[in-house]
Amino acid sequence: MKFKIDDVTVYFPYEHIYPEQYEYMVELKRTLDARGHCLLEMPTGTGKTVALLSLIISYSLSRASNRGPLKLIYCTRTVHEMEKILAELRLFLSHLPSELRSSLLALGLSSRKNLCINPIALSAASRDSVDSACRRLTASWVRASAAENPAVPTCDFFESFDRAASSSNAAVLLPSGVYSLQDLRAVGRERGWCPYFLARQTIHHANVVVYSYQYLLDPKVASIISKEMQKECVVVFDEAHNIDNVCIEALSVSVRRQTLDGAARNLNRMTQEIDRFKATDATRLRTEYNRLLEGLAQRGNLALTDAWLGNPALPDDILKEAVPGNIRRAEHFLSVLRRLVQYLNGRLETENVETEGPVAFVASVNSQAGIDQKMLRFCYDRLHSLMLTLEITDTDEFLHIQTVCDFATLIGTYTRGFSIIIEPFDQRMPHIPDPVLQLSCHDASIAIKPIFDRFQSVIITSGTLSPIDLYPRLLNFNPVISRSFTMSLTRDCICPMILTRGSDQAQITTQFGIRTEEAVVRNYGKLLLEMVSAVPDGIVCFFVSYSYMDGIINSWNEMGILQDVMQHKLVFIETQDVVETTLALDNYRRACDCGRGAVFLSVARGKVAEGIDFDRHYGRLVIMFGVPFQYTKSRILLARLEYLRETFQIKEGDFLTFDALRQAAQCVGRVIRSKADYGMMIFADQRYNRRDKHSKLPGWILSHLRDAHLNLSTDMAVRIAREFLRRMAQPYDKAGCGGKKTLLTQEDVERLPHDAMDLF
Amino acid sequence: MAVITMLAKYKTTVKEPGIPGVLKMMEDVFSFTPNDPRSAKKLKVDFRNIKGHKFSKDGSKQALLNLTQVPEKGGGYIFEFNNFADRNVCRDFVGKVLGKFQTLTSEQTDQPSSGKVTASEKATASIEQLSTKEMEHRMKLLREDSELQKLHKELVFGNVLTESEFWATRKALLDDDSDRTLKQRTGFKSAMLADIRPSTDGQTNKVTFSLTPEIIHQIFSEKPAVHRAFLNFVPVKMTEKDFWTKYCRAEYLHRTKNSVAAAAEAAEDEELAVFLKHDDILANEARRKIRRVDPTVDMVADFSDDYIHLSVHGILQDGNKETIDSENDFAKRTLAHDVNRHATVVLEGRALDIELRDTRAVAEALARSKEASSVDTSDENANLGRQERAVRMTELEDLQASHSLPYASLCIKDPREYFDFQQVNALKALGGTGSRTIDYSLNTEDAYYYLLQQISEVKLQGVHNPVVQSDTALKVLTGLTQQISSTRYNLGKNPQESVLDRFPKRTKDEIMLHWMSIQELLRHFWSSYPITTAYLYNKVLRLKSAMADIYQKLKAIKDVQSDFRHQISLLIQPMLQSLDAAFAHYDAEEHKHSTKNGARLNGFVQ
Repeated sequence: MKFKIDDVTVYFPYEHIYPEQYEYMVELKRTLDARGHCLLEMPTGTGKTVALLSLIISYSLSRASNRGPLKLIYCTRTVHEMEKILAELRLFLSHLPSELRSSLLALGLSSRKNLCINPIALSAASRDSVDSACRRLTASWVRASAAENPAVPTCDFFESFDRAASSSNAAVLLPSGVYSLQDLRAVGRERGWCPYFLARQTIHHANVVVYSYQYLLDPKVASIISKEMQKECVVVFDEAHNIDNVCIEALSVSVRRQTLDGAARNLNRMTQEIDRFKATDATRLRTEYNRLLEGLAQRGNLALTDAWLGNPALPDDILKEAVPGNIRRAEHFLSVLRRLVQYLNGRLETENVETEGPVAFVASVNSQAGIDQKMLRFCYDRLHSLMLTLEITDTDEFLHIQTVCDFATLIGTYTRGFSIIIEPFDQRMPHIPDPVLQLSCHDASIAIKPIFDRFQSVIITSGTLSPIDLYPRLLNFNPVISRSFTMSLTRDCICPMILTRGSDQAQITTQFGIRTEEAVVRNYGKLLLEMVSAVPDGIVCFFVSYSYMDGIINSWNEMGILQDVMQHKLVFIETQDVVETTLALDNYRRACDCGRGAVFLSVARGKVAEGIDFDRHYGRLVIMFGVPFQYTKSRILLARLEYLRETFQIKEGDFLTFDALRQAAQCVGRVIRSKADYGMMIFADQRYNRRDKHSKLPGWILSHLRDAHLNLSTDMAVRIAREFLRRMAQPYDKAGCGGKKTLLTQEDVERLPHDAMDLF
Repeated sequence: MAVITMLAKYKTTVKEPGIPGVLKMMEDVFSFTPNDPRSAKKLKVDFRNIKGHKFSKDGSKQALLNLTQVPEKGGGYIFEFNNFADRNVCRDFVGKVLGKFQTLTSEQTDQPSSGKVTASEKATASIEQLSTKEMEHRMKLLREDSELQKLHKELVFGNVLTESEFWATRKALLDDDSDRTLKQRTGFKSAMLADIRPSTDGQTNKVTFSLTPEIIHQIFSEKPAVHRAFLNFVPVKMTEKDFWTKYCRAEYLHRTKNSVAAAAEAAEDEELAVFLKHDDILANEARRKIRRVDPTVDMVADFSDDYIHLSVHGILQDGNKETIDSENDFAKRTLAHDVNRHATVVLEGRALDIELRDTRAVAEALARSKEASSVDTSDENANLGRQERAVRMTELEDLQASHSLPYASLCIKDPREYFDFQQVNALKALGGTGSRTIDYSLNTEDAYYYLLQQISEVKLQGVHNPVVQSDTALKVLTGLTQQISSTRYNLGKNPQESVLDRFPKRTKDEIMLHWMSIQELLRHFWSSYPITTAYLYNKVLRLKSAMADIYQKLKAIKDVQSDFRHQISLLIQPMLQSLDAAFAHYDAEEHKHSTKNGARLNGFVQ
């Protein structure tokens, strides 16, 4: 359908539209008009993505200015979400008039590991080794030597891509359309072009780019991939409820004993290389020295393939001046690094937990190892330059020294919002010595600030952004619009319940100390057992941590509960092995598709909870076993809480509850995809019954949480579940009855008075 | 029912001479007493055990009656009678008794054979060759479908249709069903191997494992390494018993989580080590499968796009702390892994068709089926399917316009008018039914005389004044309008509610039954035209009389005074009309034949 919001013609790929989608678009349009940032909470299951895509693309089509059309950068948390977005985009494009469609190009970008089609590079196991295998075949010096000596292997795909790219305008390499990773690989195979570099090249011309958060937020990656993005971009962070964590992680480094050992090995190897070069090609080192003397820490225009992970500090914070004299010579720089590694080794030998600010740490580095702040700050760029000079291709081997330099650069650059924590062992396993030195960032606003400054509009949206006023404070920005939408429902298609007692009326909770008691474990098991026999198709369970899940599954196995559950449904379990978890998920879906029914046991802060949808028959019920608090004794968390309290006046308890409940809401929110879908959510912990806890859930869940569904015991929950399922099985009127319409047709939208929308 | 006593010979096979004696048949039991009191061949058999009966053709060498028994009770009872008349008396009796059991219990019946008895003589010859299997199948169908059973009872027992005629129209049902029942295979049990848990007797340190072929098959499918080891080692290197002892030992070590002991044992015994080591076949399989995984759940791709969590970088999250000591291959297998593997195997289903008896055979068959499945579909196809699925998954189905084909809704304002109109059309199409057509060629003179006649009649008798009592008329009229309008108002409001549900249950059932019978009869009736053989002529005669019966019954239902009279008549009207059409056709055909063949009475002979 096609309708107008003010002066913009919006193309929407369906015959009907939900009223909240319409409102969402109106707010979005205002944001774009105001060229500001916004924060929108929209319940899952209301077609957020399609509303976003159709409004922004329609907007940019109608506002094609002389500076070129507005570009959409869509950031997802995971690759599988990227695939979903691209599928939605494809659907949207297929409903556009063909003259508009032909001008649009959209693609996803991922790492080499996901895009490479070269069999040699692809045979490498990990991402880093694929990266370095690619480098080994495509680095500029490798290609130069291959031009002289045909025996040097190169990558045919890259060579033919390079020829095509240089011979014609890069903008016409890919015809218009939507390209998922799969499609890019197919195009690459068909034409013999390297899909990765094709994608890297094309994102500068594409109208829509879909990639992962870190391609914008992590300065290391952003500096090579997103550097050339213009201001005329709309940046969307979808599923952004965890965006503060991503920002923090992007600027955090941890150093372990293995890292330091590896770094020492790397330094030895580099010394050998330098000696070799001195003997064979001394001019090269001298050229580098001269270049550094002229103040060019980074070489000008690097070949596309030579670029490596960039500087870990944000672009504005990188010093644009000459490298200090005492690390300009390669040997001197190496000895500085040696001293640093030695110093860090010494710090790791501590027996107590130590927490320090960056300033104090830098001072102690200066006094004990003789390395000043400026040298630390240049560590990364100097290392990068040296590695290019030495023509090192196996970058995966040099990750350790790179980590150390990351660390050095970050502590040299930032004085606020970070702390350095040294722990001799993990508190949960005090008998295993595992010293770790962590530089942790506490301030999410540091990493995201350049994004807000650089791009015209940043849209932060998710199904769970409650409380919505907290995010502007955490991220330190001023949204022009900040709004939380509710869901207009044709029928009560979600059914949240708070379960506090087992059938034997004993309290159930994952409170520390009680969670492993047999009564709790048995009651949790009985709950699952009752539910698998009552609920059809898929059931998803979330536990608070891997270790708790392992423990409880083992107990269930010994009690025979697991066997009983298997009588009703197949059981799949998330493990820490991604391959196995992916296969388990795939099989889970297959089991649900074929009607067999299955249970998926998963972890609330694990990978599955982060982005896998359990909509429709893939999830008719979610059970949240316990409240997913972070591990509260963790030093990093404590340090962050302290920082939040001092800087933003956010109370520790409030933040912890907020964090736990956004996680829980995120887990349970994945059951609904559309209004035709339905699902139940069980919060199984007595602590949810407290008002201060469950009131932090997003509004669209709270509005369905009836008083009768609080403080339930297992048998009551089963009865409610049966009743709910029976009710949902009835046919219903999709358009909504009575005065409230929940499905608008084209005419309805046209009839909507535009002033009425202002009232919201 | 009476008791029948008959002289007969009892024999176990057709060939042998048989023991002469007296056969006595009662309502639920038959007994056979040999003439020779010393003979041990005394029988007393409950009819409930009898599944069916067969008999020799009239006029064949012997007058035989074979009562077949439920298979688990053994063969049947063959009786030879002195003549066919005696036999037929017994045969009919048996048929009735068995038919009665069938209607009583609707289980454990033998309809086809009782149908055979009641069927007309001409048809019997063709049915007798029915195999017992087919009969069982038909019985099963009848048992499963109570409506079919009712219809069968009504038509076949009512002598309207023969057994074969009844089933001839349901060939598809027969074929299709038998195929399906054959191909169903049982899968693996959902439960994990609970039986392989060790059991201890509590006194000694001995631990007992019990393995069945079923369990072994499951072990082979879930643990390819064990399967491979079995194929390699048994029986060349060790006996099967040794193999399983080793396996159980490894399992036990694993179960007790004694990784040190496991490592020690594995170091000494390389065969044992096979069971404890990481399963490389599974790892390869996983690598192969991961390429085809649905991209929307592909977390591996995500993992390899994650530059924040460099292998030595970033904050440790809960659980991400994994100290993998690669030198220790053993005992890394967790319960979660086992559970996932088990569920995968159950989901894949059992590929084997062979009986589980010999372990070696099981192992080899499994290897064969694996080979076959490993060269299956190419990646391209999988990708195509994947993409289609992704598109399907992304659509929001309730925002979509409905996918069904465009149609114009049928709008019948007045059903009666509609059906009457159809009726006239049908009759016109038939043509030749001159008796019904109205002669419009009435000339003015005739009309005048007719009117004159009417007037004179009135003059003679005088006009009743008033013709009808006005208040009575008003009452009747308002009553009628109210009823009609109210039904019109009530009906069609709710799609779930039909007119039928408003009737009393008895009436509803009756109407449904009649409707089904009419459909069946009409199907047979119309398929019998053109009549080419005497057999068909007979059939049509039978059908016509049956239809006439139903016609009368319907009329009776229609005429019953009740609140629903109007709706009932609305419902019944089309049925009656369809029957009328059939009768009209019959009459017309009859008429044609009689005129064509002149005086020849047997008009059907062509």
